[in-house]
Amino acid sequence: MTFRIEIDRDVCISSGKCVADAPELVRFDDDELAELVPGAVLPSEAALLDLARTCPSGALRLFDGEQEVDAG
Amino acid sequence: MTAVAEEAVVVLSRFADAKDAYRSKDLRQSLYDEGEVVMADVLVNLHGDEHRTRRRVENRMFRREVFERYERDLFPAVTDATIAPYVAAGRVDLVHLGHELMLNLAALTAGVDRPQGTAQETERLYAYMMSFIEGATLAHSTKDKTVQRGVIAQALDDWDAEFLAPSIAHRRDLLAREAAGEHVEVPRDVLATLLRHADELTLPPEVIRREVAFYLLAGAHTSATAFVRSIDHILGWIDEHPEDATAAVDDPLFVQRCIHETVRLNPSSPTGRRRALAPVSLRSGIDIPEGATVVIDLQAVNRDVTLFGADAAAFNPRRTLPPGVAPFGLSFAAGMHVCIGQDLAAGVVQRADTDPESHLFGLVTGAVQQMFAAGTRRDPENAPQRDAATARPYWGSYPVLLG
Repeated sequence: MTFRIEIDRDVCISSGKCVADAPELVRFDDDELAELVPGAVLPSEAALLDLARTCPSGALRLFDGEQEVDAG
Repeated sequence: MTAVAEEAVVVLSRFADAKDAYRSKDLRQSLYDEGEVVMADVLVNLHGDEHRTRRRVENRMFRREVFERYERDLFPAVTDATIAPYVAAGRVDLVHLGHELMLNLAALTAGVDRPQGTAQETERLYAYMMSFIEGATLAHSTKDKTVQRGVIAQALDDWDAEFLAPSIAHRRDLLAREAAGEHVEVPRDVLATLLRHADELTLPPEVIRREVAFYLLAGAHTSATAFVRSIDHILGWIDEHPEDATAAVDDPLFVQRCIHETVRLNPSSPTGRRRALAPVSLRSGIDIPEGATVVIDLQAVNRDVTLFGADAAAFNPRRTLPPGVAPFGLSFAAGMHVCIGQDLAAGVVQRADTDPESHLFGLVTGAVQQMFAAGTRRDPENAPQRDAATARPYWGSYPVLLG
């Protein structure tokens, strides 16, 4: 069981870092905002933490159950 | 250590507090309040929806696939051509070369054309850029600030007439021909991006002018200072670690670590500043009242011994870092205003599985490595001097020998 990931569209600034780092997991939508690739297999918790940390705006949010994870 | 002064200034000197503050939506950028002559309404000074809308548009130009083209195809030739006459002369002042080189690269990314292609034309653009740098850093100027504001405003007018207006006309023509179905190559630069999305952004001409001036000065100045400081640090490191002398020439991963370590120790601005639009409570329990100024002490934050080790204040490109801490600390800030040109200037942060063949090292890494390949060493007859015109810790001159 790994973390659940959400992308906050109101916070995303389209930096493209998540799309460049994990194209199998994140892509741009028609508005060039990040969105999860439907049906994508989630990587390990460590990989998700790395990915969340590279998001400059904090738009990538991780959850352990209902509890939000502080990626640091 | 954290202190709350009587005039509602909150100083943050811990890494976690600084990162928390940078990510707060209720803390507004205020570092450039005195530099409005150049910085009013530019991206880095916007907040909320206005900022997000413009950043989303401009970020299309600041993505890795664009940087790859710049780093692999465009920048090496520009760097070679800029350095060549100095290599032939056997000496150069790194401060001047750094700004000349980074101006050449920043003009490409900002979208400022030099149709004549002469040295005189570049000298004029250089003079304008130095004036804009003075405008952006006016808060730290040691000159008469009222006088300087007038000088800088005039420079903006003159630069617009000579450089910006023709660059805009050129791009508008290309965009119109592209829209008509003609096959033309529109430059991938900031100005073309702004013009392409003009309907979405509705920016008045004076804001476009300041936005492009900002990219010119920010792209050139921050990279130029990092260029000089990195060479200074590497020369010092090689004195102590002569076994790394060849790595400065032939190991771009090592050189990039040197750039990141330099940027950590010498953030472009020694402090970040924010103004509280509402009461803010940081996770550590620090309360920031509405209206307070928040000063982020980057010198302290980036030298936190609990994160960077007992030798945190020293230059050590071989240091190991804890997870989640960038090798350059918070020098590029974090949150909504994280430096848009970070990957372009300093490359992508290395990981254990980084492949040097496909890795982006950043333009400063490439330029510094080319300087060491050109035999850069200190000039024993001419010691480097600090810049007396600003309270910021800049080098005023840094003579070196080449060849």
